[in-house]
Parts: sequence; structure tokens; C-alpha cells
Amino acid sequence: MSVTLEQVLKRNSVERLKREKSPLAILEELPALIAAGYESVPEEDIVRLKWWGLYHDKPKIGTFMLRVKIAGGLLGSKQLRAIGELSNEYGRGDAELTTRQNVQLHYIELAALPEVFARLEAAGLTSAGGCGDTVRNITGCPVAGLAQDELFDTTPILEEAATLFYGNPDYSDLPRKFKISITACADACAAPEINCVSLIGALRGGEEGFGVLVGGGLSSVPRIARELGIWVPKGEAIDVLAAILDEWRGDLKYRVSRVKARLKFMVDDIGPEGMRGRIETRLGRRFDDFALPPRPRASNHLGVHERYVGVPVHLGLVSGDQLIALSELGPEVRITRQQNLVLVDPVDGVADELTRIGLPLDAGELRGNAIACTGEPHCNFSVTETKSRMDGLVRLLEARFPRGQLDGLRLHLDGCPHACAQHWVGDLGFQGTTVRDEGGRRLQAYDIYLRGSLDRPAAIARPVFRRVPTEELDDAVAGLVGGWIEGRAEGESFRDFCDRTTDDELAVLAGREAHVRRAA
Amino acid sequence: MSAELLDDLEAGELSVQFEGEEPDTVLAWALERFSPRIAISTAFQTDGAVLLHMAYELDPSVRVFSVDTGRLPQETYELVEQMRERYPKLQLDLLSPDAAAVGALVGKHGPNLFYKSVENRLLCCQVRKVLPLQRYLGGLDAWITGLRRDQWATRSDIRKVEIDHDHGAIVKLNPLAEWTEDEVWEYVREHEVPVNPLYEKGFTSIGCAPCTRPTSAGEDLRAGRWWWETGAPKECGIHCAIETGGLEHELHALLGDDHD
Repeated sequence: MSVTLEQVLKRNSVERLKREKSPLAILEELPALIAAGYESVPEEDIVRLKWWGLYHDKPKIGTFMLRVKIAGGLLGSKQLRAIGELSNEYGRGDAELTTRQNVQLHYIELAALPEVFARLEAAGLTSAGGCGDTVRNITGCPVAGLAQDELFDTTPILEEAATLFYGNPDYSDLPRKFKISITACADACAAPEINCVSLIGALRGGEEGFGVLVGGGLSSVPRIARELGIWVPKGEAIDVLAAILDEWRGDLKYRVSRVKARLKFMVDDIGPEGMRGRIETRLGRRFDDFALPPRPRASNHLGVHERYVGVPVHLGLVSGDQLIALSELGPEVRITRQQNLVLVDPVDGVADELTRIGLPLDAGELRGNAIACTGEPHCNFSVTETKSRMDGLVRLLEARFPRGQLDGLRLHLDGCPHACAQHWVGDLGFQGTTVRDEGGRRLQAYDIYLRGSLDRPAAIARPVFRRVPTEELDDAVAGLVGGWIEGRAEGESFRDFCDRTTDDELAVLAGREAHVRRAA
Repeated sequence: MSAELLDDLEAGELSVQFEGEEPDTVLAWALERFSPRIAISTAFQTDGAVLLHMAYELDPSVRVFSVDTGRLPQETYELVEQMRERYPKLQLDLLSPDAAAVGALVGKHGPNLFYKSVENRLLCCQVRKVLPLQRYLGGLDAWITGLRRDQWATRSDIRKVEIDHDHGAIVKLNPLAEWTEDEVWEYVREHEVPVNPLYEKGFTSIGCAPCTRPTSAGEDLRAGRWWWETGAPKECGIHCAIETGGLEHELHALLGDDHD
């Protein structure tokens, strides 16, 4: 059954909103919106501002989060300094590193936006398409061009893609958001399994090119991406990305309902084979069959390496002053999807300098691996504490277990089902929820997700313990982690340990009943 | 060990399966699965009335609830009486705010406190609407709302099946999610569903009497609710339904921890 534009516009208010006035064009109206004042700005225009990387802070009374897009997480020092200065001058002196290698600022006022955008542009930065139905920040290996074991440097392709898609009106009216990753490191470290499309570098008889994964994504309906099964020569990579985008954005079927709009639902419908067929038809050429070789466990890039140091950033939180100080420590900085930083060609004595500015290199793998979403106090969706609760969990485990024992453990904590911190694929994933105590008071609580991972084969976790009140969370987590440390085989990961342990056994470790699904 | 009703993974898949399905399909599934610990939320606006009618057709013993803040317009109470006649087996729970809490609120700030500040208005919403809702939901496994995607720019992503993490992770169903305003009114006419007479007097959104007023043609719909306020959170200017959870988030942010 084919879908008409009329049906789309009838059912989907965002499609109407986009056609009534292009969200990208809202920038031209900023002076008028500012003159009228925040109070007078219609909520529809606030929605359009997402296309410039802006979300309401919480409460929704006049300040914004600003998401600065950083393709591949690659930044020059001057750019980093510029972001730090923006935070200090227009925000409240803090910033967040995100799982898509962006930087987010908070408390930016409407009236400041023209200056903020001008400063970003002057620094060669943009927030175009930071949020909204756009190509979101394209992620890559944070040590592209630096790692000895990479197959080739993907930076030129990544930059070409960003130049083509960011702020391009044709790719800013997508059915929904679209997430791309591009890597050619040995371990395809950019979480390709949970992106809409991922180009994974490979070699074929000495030729450089890519295999492709399609249809991954998390949020409320998680999917692990599937392999397209084609060989894409390096020179055709951008064509293939555009062809996938064009097939999806041109199909009105994916504009009727935002609940079924993401590329993953198209892949659900037609499979990788169908997608391949549509790409080949559109481009008028056949691609060779190609199966990607197995991918090893992904690196987190922490620690001291020949050309770089990987700096664990606890909770992904940095101050404007720290960003400015970091800009003095080397010519380039990269942001990792674990909400950490990589300093390229750092100055002598960088370890001491990092300690001095409060970002010690030896903060530990647990901190480096842990990720938590924005959440309280900024986000309007979160129902629980997020980064602060993660801080509590990290400190608990550090106090309870010798540090080296915790290496490799990945904690992912989200305050709502949107899964910005990817709780579906952490070793221990947490999603915020609430419970009522006997007196009827609302308590913060968490569902605990286990057996998910981005280690290959990637897997979606299931909620094994539900509605764990925040006061009881520490004991459950310490019990599970302690059980792994005591019971693991040599080198056995937390995920592997959970895979071979029954829910009932895990329940004993956690000291609480496991969640039992009702038969459908 | 009790089996869980639904987890997020199941709810997500169901929400995709129910896309394109008619509201009564979702309703029938929900009533079958969650009765008797399921209820329909209505504020006696058209969406809630349509939902009530559909559910009553499927199962007259379905529970329906509404928060009676004590400050509703007379027309709304008359509509309640009309509904009771039209649906004789209706199991309607009218939720009253806690009398002591209202007494304390009014004693401290006066009966019309909401005109004095945004904080006061939110406090009033908290005591008269949100807390009774929260108490009632504590006794349910699932609730059904009349939320629709076209009500508001930021409601475009509403799912028909969700886990309600604002309210103890019970199941929340939004069977009308896909319907337009026109479709709701068509249903009202076709099935002669009783509606609030205030719509004919120019009201576009009907809440408490002191906080709602009619809007004239061409006037911004937001002028119909809390028109005197400045500095209020966005998104609550119209159709500020307690069903979204958004009001509770703003309350938390502006007033701090629970006031119960």
C-alpha cells in the first residue's frame, strides 16, 4: 500500500511543522524571536531550534542546551579553547562530552544565540543538525591517523561526509534522525552495531574499501545493525551513504509515524538484501559480495600511547576552564564515544599537567568506561539522577574492590528509555524508573540490564532486575560485580560471565528477585 | 515470584506492532491483558470522552477515572451527570484531592493563589491534580489516556504502548495517538458521544474554571489557559494534560522534591 504526502501530513505533526517553515531557516528569524522575547516564542519554533542543536534546559523557562557537532570527535586546540570560552562566557562554565563525540553546553540564553553561533562559525565549528531530523554527528575512531594498526585513515572521507550532509537542506528533512559511523581501525571502535549506517574499513587484495552495516539503533526499540554484504571501494563510500539516505528519505512510508521512521524499521521491512537492491538500482551499478572479517573487542583508547594520551573524563563532565587548559597541552584533541578525551602529540609533562587541572590520567578504567546520560538537572525526560548516581556507583566499586579487578567493566546509566548512554549495550546497564514506597512516596529506582554488549557479537541486554530503589542499587551492583570477580574464568568478561549464569544465580548475587516475563 | 506485566523491550515492540491499528484494537488488547487492574483517564474533554465510549462498547465494566480538582466548571459536572445516564454501568471514580492538603494550601496562599505566581499555580496543580492521580495510579497495572500526537508539537513521538517510568513503571496506553482532532470530532458526532458544552462557547481546552477561558477566532490557542502568566514553563500553555508526565517534571524542577 503506497502512502501519499497527504496522509503523511495528516498523521505527522512534525512533517507539517517542517513544511510550514524549514527548521534550518529559523536562524534568520532569531533576531525577531529575541526581540519578542522567550515568552512569545511558539513551541513549534522551539522545536525548529533543535535543528541548530538546541534543546530546552529544565525547567523550560528560557535557557538552552547547545550541542556542538564535532565530526569524528576531531578538534583543533583553538576550537577546543573556543568551546571552553563559550561555556564560560555564555553558559555556566561547564560542558559535557557525549557518546556521539559532541560537546554540549548548558544555560545558553536565547538572546545570546547570534553571538554564540558567530563564535562557533569563526572557530570552524557548527551545531547545524545537532538535533532534529538530520544527519547527526558522524562518529569515527578518535585516534584515526594516529594508530599504528589502522588499515587507513578515514578522516578525509569522514570530513567529506560531514561537509556534504551537515546543514544541507536536502539531508535536514529526514524522516527522523540518522546516525553514521566511519572507521578503518582494526577494531571498528565506533560502535558500528548501533548506528543507522556504518562504514567499516577493510582491505581486499590490498585495495582499501568498506563493508557496510545498516539498521542499528537503540532508544525504545533497539536493533543491532545487519551486514549489507557488499564491498564498497573507498571512492564510492560517499555515494553509498547518500544512496541509503536517499532511498529512506524518499520513501513516504517512513514519514507517516515517527515511531516507525528510523532506518532500522526499513531494514526490518526489506532486510539487508532489499536495501542492497535499492542502493544498486539507485546507483545503477552492482557491488561485489563482501563479508567483513570478525571484529575484535573495541579499544577505549585510554592511557599513554606513542602519539597520544587517552584521558578518562569522569562522567564526561568538564569545565570551561579545563577545556581552555587542555587546549594548551597539544595541537589536537579528540572526543571519544566513552565521553573521554584524547590529546594528540601532547606536551612534555602532560601527565602532571592533567593532574593539575583535575583530569588525572590514572583515574582508572572504570571511570573511563562508565557513561551516563545528561539527565538531572538538565534533561526534561529523565526521571532519575544520572551522572551523579553513576558517580556513586563508581565510588562504591572503587572502594569495594581492588582497582585492577574492575578493568574492562562498563557501566552505562540512562535516566529514560531514549538510551543516550546506551544502557542496552553496557555490561551493567541501568535505566531510571520510579517506585512507590509503602507510604505512597515516589522513589527513584533503576532497572538493571544484563547480557548486552558492544563486544562482538554485539547483543541487546534484557532487564533482569526491575525497579531497584536507588537506596538498594549499590548492594545489588556490588553483589553482581563481586560475583563476577570471584567466579570468573581467567580473562572472562562480565558479559560472558552473565551469559553462562542463570537469572536465579544472578538473583542470589544481587540479593533480590529477578524479573520474570509473563508468557505472551 | 510475580511475573512482570511488560518490560521496556516488550513495550517497544508492541508499540511498533500497534502502529496503524485502530484505537479499539489497542483498547481491546489492553482490557483483555490488564483487566481488572486497568483504568481510563479522562478529563471529560473530547479525547477522553471518545475513549470512554469506545471502551464502554467493548466492556461496560471498564473503570474510568477523572481528577475532580474541586474547581471544575459547572458544565463539566453536568457532563459527568449526562455520562452517568448515557452509560448506566459506568464505573467512574472521581478522584478528590486530599482535603487536609487543600486546606493547608488555601489557608496559606488563599483560594485563588494561582493568579499570584507560577509557583503558586504549580503548587495548586500539584495538590489538586497530580497527587490524586499519583495515588490512584499506585493501585493500577496499566492506564489508558487520550493523548494524541497532533495535540502539540512536542507530542509527535507518543507511542501507543509505553512503560510509564514517571509512575512506578506501570503500563501506559495511548490508543488515540494517531488520530487527528477532526477524527475525534467525527467519532463524537457519529456515535453521539456527550461532550462538554463549553466547546460551543469557544473553549478549546477545558480544565479548572478559574484557569481556563474561551479563545476568540484568530487568537492564539495558548490564550485559553493561564493567560496571565509570565515565566511559566513552555508546553503547558494549552492541553496541559497531567497524562504526559511533563507537568510533573516541571513541578519537580521548579518546586523541588515531592510536596506530599
